[in-house]
Amino acid sequence: MLPYSIKEGLAGFRRASFSSVAATSAMTAALVMVGLFAIVTWQARGISEWLKQRVGEVELFLEDTSDTVAVSLFERARSTPGVAQAEFISKERAQEIFRQEFGEEADIFFDGTFLPASIRVRVEPDYINADSLSVLVAEFASWNRVDEVVFNQALLTKVESNLRLISLIGISIGALVLLASVFLVANTIRLAIYARRLMIRTMKLVGATDGFIRKPFIVEGVIQGFLSSILALFLLWFIQRAAMAYVPQLEPLALPGVLVFSVVLTGSGCALGWMGSASAVGRFLKHISLH
Amino acid sequence: MPGKRRRVVLEDVSLRVERGELVYLVGPTGSGKSSLLKLLYMEMQPDSGVVRVADYRSDRIKPSETPFLRRSLGIVFQDFQLLPDRSVFDNVAFAQYVTGHRGKAVKSKVMHVLSRVGLSHKLRQYPHQLSGGEQQRVVIARAIINDPWIILADEPTGNLDPTVAEEIQRLLIGLHRSGMTVVMATHDYRLVRSFPARTLAVMNRRIVEVDPSSLSG
Ligand SMILES: Nc1ncnc2c1ncn2[C@@H]1O[C@H](COP(=O)(O)OP(=O)(O)O)[C@@H](O)[C@H]1O
Ligand SMILES: [Mg+2]
Repeated sequence: MLPYSIKEGLAGFRRASFSSVAATSAMTAALVMVGLFAIVTWQARGISEWLKQRVGEVELFLEDTSDTVAVSLFERARSTPGVAQAEFISKERAQEIFRQEFGEEADIFFDGTFLPASIRVRVEPDYINADSLSVLVAEFASWNRVDEVVFNQALLTKVESNLRLISLIGISIGALVLLASVFLVANTIRLAIYARRLMIRTMKLVGATDGFIRKPFIVEGVIQGFLSSILALFLLWFIQRAAMAYVPQLEPLALPGVLVFSVVLTGSGCALGWMGSASAVGRFLKHISLH
Repeated sequence: MPGKRRRVVLEDVSLRVERGELVYLVGPTGSGKSSLLKLLYMEMQPDSGVVRVADYRSDRIKPSETPFLRRSLGIVFQDFQLLPDRSVFDNVAFAQYVTGHRGKAVKSKVMHVLSRVGLSHKLRQYPHQLSGGEQQRVVIARAIINDPWIILADEPTGNLDPTVAEEIQRLLIGLHRSGMTVVMATHDYRLVRSFPARTLAVMNRRIVEVDPSSLSG
């Protein structure tokens, strides 16, 4: 036989079906909003990583020099703090790339030997900002035998300021969404509990303890939170599918990510139901009078 | 007395009710009968002085002890306050369940108190299918199922027709005769005269003993 509080918690669904549905809907809406925000943030992070990696490429063009010097410069570049990866592009390789890009007929116009050897450096994500990059670039430029250092300053500045703006907007929207969700859930649960004031009052009248009164509501809240998170997961899945149909570039989350996301969202749903109902009953118990 | 507008309702009152007594509280509306009962079930605290009910004292009781005081009281109000979505049986059993009782004993206890209030045949009905008098019987069954030693009734017959009121009064008198302490607020003087007992009039912030047969109106 089920414990009384669980039986009552389940029965709450039948008895107060409207407020149950309302509380579950509110929590579902809240979880969808928060989940959507998390997904958008994750996608935006992917895009910004990608953008930053494009921007965080620095190319050191070398003067005409011996292979040993070039190799030592390459080693030096690779071990410079802030450098994630370095690639040596010899004159021959540069010519090959040139040919690939412009086709065989390029040979007709250029002999290709004018292309210098270079070191292409990929900067660590932490260093991809205007300040660190210009310090790094200045250092590279100060080396002997380095002719020119090239990176996309204008693009970096633009990307940086845009990312800052976007994340600021994102954080504000996120905070607003979270606040709205908590408000919505708290009020709906409070109303749901208010709808059962007669039952609570009767329990107090016959001498039920506050802890006992609270329990079925918490059980019900957790069940509602759990259901809400399942509903929210389905909705989010549909939304993501629809979004991917429109924007095929979006990356679907890999399975481990999906699992973590689902577990976190379900946990949040249960916690939301728990805390929402516990605080609402607690407040109510403090103020209710028997008559 | 608590509340937004503070006003002295009772002052300098001293009152002792013995176990097994039947006491009426009479007095006009607003005189403080309900407030006196609230002091007894400790929903209100006196601004000064002490209320003692069994071993519970108003100045020492902890919030966590209040439910246990309430279990030793059977409280009956004028408006019946039955749970509309539960049967008679479940309404009465509710008082047992929420105070931690389980199992077969609950069922036989419910049957016992329902027969005591004369409603055994309606246990599957819902409150809206019952008359006012029957609903009040269910309330009384619920109030006595946890074996309280005192019944606090606040105008229990206030919403009932005179004949039904008299039946409910008979029921309460019967409980008193079987040994229960009953404190009942009422302004139905006719009932008090029909079933005379110790009568306290609450008026002008004081409590005075009155002769029930002298009540008029
Ligand atoms: N919760 C409250 N807050 C403020 N005043 C109250 C409250 N309850 C009752 N009163 C006042 O206390 C007085 C006594 O009320 P009450 O005890 O209900 O009287 P009775 O039951 O005899 O009609 C009334 O004047 C009423 O307005
Ligand atoms: Mg009153």
